[in-house]
Amino acid sequence: MAIGTLALKNLKRNKTRTALTLLSVASALLLLCLLWAFLEAMQGVEAADDTRVVVRSAVSLATLLPEAYWQKIGTIPHVQAVTPLNWYQGTFIDDRPENFFPRFASDPATLFKVFPEYQMPEDQKQAWTAERGSFIAGKALADKYGWTIGKSISIKGDIYPFDLSNITLRGIYTVPNLPTQEKQIFFHRQYLEEAIGNRGLIGTYFLRLDSSDSVPSVVATAEKMFENSDAQVRAETEKAFNLSFLEMIGNIRFLFGAIGLAVVISIFFITANTMAMAARERTGEMAVLKTLGFSGGQVLTLVVLESLAVGVFGALLGCALAFALVGGLAKAAESVFPVFSTIAVTPKVWGIGLGVGLAIGLLSGLFPAIAASRMRIADALRRI
Amino acid sequence: MKIPLKYNFRSLFVRRATTLMTIGSIAFVVLVYIGVLALAGGLKTAFAASGDPRNVLVLREGAKSEVESFFDLDKARLLAALPGVGRNAKGDPLASGQTTVLQILKRADGSESNVSIRGVEPAIFDIRPQVRLIEGRRFEPGRAEVIVGSKLAGRFAGLSVGEQMKFGRVEFRVVGIFDSNGGSFNSEIWVPISDLRDAFRRGESVSTVVLQAASADEAVALVDRIKADQQLKLQPKLEIDYFADQANQNSRQFVVLGNVLAVLMSFGACFAAANTMYAQVAARAKELGTLRAVGFKRRTILVAFLLEAALLGLIAGCVGALAALPLNSLTAGTMNGVTFSEISFNLRTTPTILLSGILLAVVTGVLGGLPPAIAASRRPITTLLREV
Repeated sequence: MAIGTLALKNLKRNKTRTALTLLSVASALLLLCLLWAFLEAMQGVEAADDTRVVVRSAVSLATLLPEAYWQKIGTIPHVQAVTPLNWYQGTFIDDRPENFFPRFASDPATLFKVFPEYQMPEDQKQAWTAERGSFIAGKALADKYGWTIGKSISIKGDIYPFDLSNITLRGIYTVPNLPTQEKQIFFHRQYLEEAIGNRGLIGTYFLRLDSSDSVPSVVATAEKMFENSDAQVRAETEKAFNLSFLEMIGNIRFLFGAIGLAVVISIFFITANTMAMAARERTGEMAVLKTLGFSGGQVLTLVVLESLAVGVFGALLGCALAFALVGGLAKAAESVFPVFSTIAVTPKVWGIGLGVGLAIGLLSGLFPAIAASRMRIADALRRI
Repeated sequence: MKIPLKYNFRSLFVRRATTLMTIGSIAFVVLVYIGVLALAGGLKTAFAASGDPRNVLVLREGAKSEVESFFDLDKARLLAALPGVGRNAKGDPLASGQTTVLQILKRADGSESNVSIRGVEPAIFDIRPQVRLIEGRRFEPGRAEVIVGSKLAGRFAGLSVGEQMKFGRVEFRVVGIFDSNGGSFNSEIWVPISDLRDAFRRGESVSTVVLQAASADEAVALVDRIKADQQLKLQPKLEIDYFADQANQNSRQFVVLGNVLAVLMSFGACFAAANTMYAQVAARAKELGTLRAVGFKRRTILVAFLLEAALLGLIAGCVGALAALPLNSLTAGTMNGVTFSEISFNLRTTPTILLSGILLAVVTGVLGGLPPAIAASRRPITTLLREV
């Protein structure tokens, strides 16, 4: 491949220009890969378990359900366990997002039956169950704040007009491979209920089924069960429940898509520009090549190969940078949207990045290459 | 002596294709930057249009938003009777209890979102004179009628005049579409508060009360009066503060996104500008040599090239800003992170946003132009003149 070697040698001729173009392609591809990785992360909501169903009010999450539903839902065939989760929210330390983590009021007796992947020593489970004013925290969260068993914390209420003052940590649970699940706390629902005057309301019921095949029948039965009551419910898989939050955020996908397109067009301008410059500079040289007997097609290949190399090397660099940076970004985004903790530069993202680099390289080299292959030797030699 | 600006301008357009492509790439960066900031600008504009400096919003102590707030109707009545609360022509207090319920509704594209349904009292139309019906008529209490904000009507399914929808136990009918001058109310459905209470079996309570004082100063006094009242134990806020807070919390993510994109993208564009300027320097070696030979100083050459790069950026910035102007006709919808409900708004490219976009382009141009300009000024006259 003499032409290939020549193309690579040509790249080294104007090192500054090649470096600048490579870097601009790389920075654009970095951005593109990150955008794509975010989109991928949004789609693949980790939604752990397809044997879990969430039952909530058909009105919206801000409307709660009667606690009497708990027992009724438990009687649906294929339902093995039901646990209530009430979103407490509240303020811990201050309003800054880094001090935010999910806080749920739940039921110690059923929580671990519905979430069997949450692992906690048996003695800690008993200690938590026995003490009303206690709570459990995920290991990642406990590590972040340096909490150990016996530590007391206070959280100021907002949705609930009741502050959790000095609740004591009685257990630290772990969730293998799902670090975001470790960034929440659970405390006794009964404790909250008594404090606010036993209103008997529950935000969401989480159900564990015997198998994922039972999902359709359980969903249908649950919705039908309360159809004619004052508080109708919506039942859906845990995954659908998690996705509904992303749906509310709106047309982010479109926004990211538009930005991605603008980025691609912008790099196309940059590389096409460089290739045009490079080709123009070497008009005389191309003419000499042709004089020596190189065909138009070979000259075309030479120029296209050069720009392809820029596109591909730039894309490799950009993807590698994205790969290196994505971990840090995931950490930063996680406090806002936990789903983004799964963000990663997957093989698919690498593929897209390299594909775009290839396409950009090919297209931007094509016009100067065609011009070079078509030029007449006499004209070209005369130009200088 | 300085080199005239006209020289730079003309030089730029000698190599027209190169310059135009560089302008194109920088302009795209500016377009994206302005576009994302226009989302933040639109949110701010929508919330700013919602508040009135004379209005006081009263929430439960500790509640961060309307959705979290609720208190007894008795307290709402006490609030309406407070001195300092304005009166309408008929002598009724300018006070309205409000109940906010979030309801899942389907967007026109089939996706779902929470929509804020606001129960209001008739006085609300005196308190918010900017709210006017653009289609149909106002609701009449007791007849299960609703009016729909103009931004919802098109984006969500089944919200046109005459259509019916079920909230809680009751079938409601849309009788009008209202507009509130671009405010956030345009993303809400308004219902008589008593009908909403029936539909959702809410007891004798309200979420919030909005009061209107005679002036902005009196509103401040009213806030102090309610704060000091130990019996009420409520949290009064100037409405403009309440909405400004929501505007900031919701637009922050777009401001961050815009800036991250600007940094990453202008990085690439910087290299493009550098490339163009290097080409300029290389192509004009002889010209530069001549300029130096007739007495122009190194520094003058440096400044001239930097000006040329800045000019390149300025043109690109203006092109990008112009291209961004049509964005103002777009509507975007997202989730209000404070109230957890849908908010639709028009994108707004405010003058500040446009100017920062242009500034970004100029900085990009200058940063990209700096190394070639330095290189140009450093080359000795003899080598410059010898080049072809």
